[in-house]
Amino acid sequence: MEELNLVFEGLKFMVLGMGTVFLFLVILIFAINIQAKVIARYFPEVKKLVMPTPVIQKNTNAKIAAITAAVLHHRKLQSKAKNG
Amino acid sequence: MRFFIIKLLILLSFFSLSSNLLASSSESIKVNPTHKEETYKTKTLSEMVAGFVKLTGIAALINPDPDELNAQGKKMSDFHKSWGRIIMILITFLLFYLAIAKGFEPLLLLPIAFGGLLANIPVANIAGEHGFLGVIYNMGLANEFFPIIIFMGVGAMTDFAPLLSNPKTALLGGAAQFGIFGTLVGAVALSQYTDMFSFTLQQASAISIIGGADGPTSIFIASKLSPELLGAIAVASYSYMAMVPIIQPPIMRALTTEKERKIKMKTMRKVSNLEKLIFPIMVLILAILVLPESTPLIGAFMFGNFLKESGVVERLNDTLQNSLINITTIFLGLGVGSKLAADQFLVAETLAILALGIVAFSAGTAAGVLMAKLMNLFPGTKINPLIGSAGVSAVPMAARVSNKVGMEYDRSNMLLMHAMGPNVAGVIGSAVAAGVLISIFA
Repeated sequence: MEELNLVFEGLKFMVLGMGTVFLFLVILIFAINIQAKVIARYFPEVKKLVMPTPVIQKNTNAKIAAITAAVLHHRKLQSKAKNG
Repeated sequence: MRFFIIKLLILLSFFSLSSNLLASSSESIKVNPTHKEETYKTKTLSEMVAGFVKLTGIAALINPDPDELNAQGKKMSDFHKSWGRIIMILITFLLFYLAIAKGFEPLLLLPIAFGGLLANIPVANIAGEHGFLGVIYNMGLANEFFPIIIFMGVGAMTDFAPLLSNPKTALLGGAAQFGIFGTLVGAVALSQYTDMFSFTLQQASAISIIGGADGPTSIFIASKLSPELLGAIAVASYSYMAMVPIIQPPIMRALTTEKERKIKMKTMRKVSNLEKLIFPIMVLILAILVLPESTPLIGAFMFGNFLKESGVVERLNDTLQNSLINITTIFLGLGVGSKLAADQFLVAETLAILALGIVAFSAGTAAGVLMAKLMNLFPGTKINPLIGSAGVSAVPMAARVSNKVGMEYDRSNMLLMHAMGPNVAGVIGSAVAAGVLISIFA
């Protein structure tokens, strides 16, 4: 009798163990799905608004001058390259 | 030189004589700093040399002291004192080789192997109660403390996003736990009907948890249910985890068709930070409600993960992931190594544990793959069964193996992130399985 019992015990462990593991994970799956829906519905991830970068007024003219100069220089180089 | 030693000896003997006289003349001085000298008897040089030779490692290995006790204070056989130790030291050298040249989980195997080397030194008794390995063992392994700390670190390293985006893959992590319980039944049946070995239910449970492929969980359960088998279980567990890339692919190929291996899984949805933050708390609440016995492991795991996902305690997160887990790994490895003492490791059970461990591991892998095939019978998006094998924990090695095998059949099929889902579910699954086993024996 004793001998039979031990294997039977093992089988009971298996039923209980696998049952609990699956029960736990199935509940978890449901919980994850519900959570995902709730969060998507009520707490949607706010896309960070791209704040218009405040234009610094200081030195604007100087910057424009520099950029214009650079563009002009670039064009000059390109036209040279084309001609040459 | 010789003259000098003799002179020293005379001096010493004179000193001990005088202190003896002193002690006997005044009884009031009971404990005095010259206590050592009191017990020191004068010896001739030849006696001293003989005594010294007796305490060398060579003498202790060739002709062991019959009264020598093992780390637990029990008598051990002559074989374990002499050849056993030599064999164990050679085994630790083999482990060094595997860790360094073959890259088998060196982070753990090296401390374990070195601990084993130290534990097999005769005379010094490093693994004994007052040796430093014994102190480490009692400090954090006998009370299951170190595995918990490791779990915190692993939690801080784990990203649950793949599981959150495709939750049904968690079932694969559950199926892989069949390795644990299938082996448990097998071990009990074999000890019942054959003479191969005789394990109790506790021992069989502790051994079969190797199938969970989770080192800390194995150690946690082993030190709770059968500490006498801890060394062999830990070594089996970590070496099989290291051998995942060798053990798993043949099983995965045998159970799947070429067509199944080429299944492409659809790209995952993006998971919001809020979901990731709530998830650890949710799992913990579930564990509290269903199985409080699993909360030491799951609680520590989720604590680590929560700190990481909170995003406001970067320093603590960093400590968990790096310094704390590294320090604990050193101690855990040395403590496990202390169980590699010959008298505990070189026993018939060790072979049985190694054999059952690989059975458990393979059964878990197979169950995960078969579960994926079963799920594909139902309508819905198809799952590549190769990610089923990742249901055994062994994070992230098992997921990498799924990815690698998948790439062999279709270069463009990236399975890594898909396999991480069952992989982390496997960690939760084996912690739950451990909780069930503990609750049964509680």
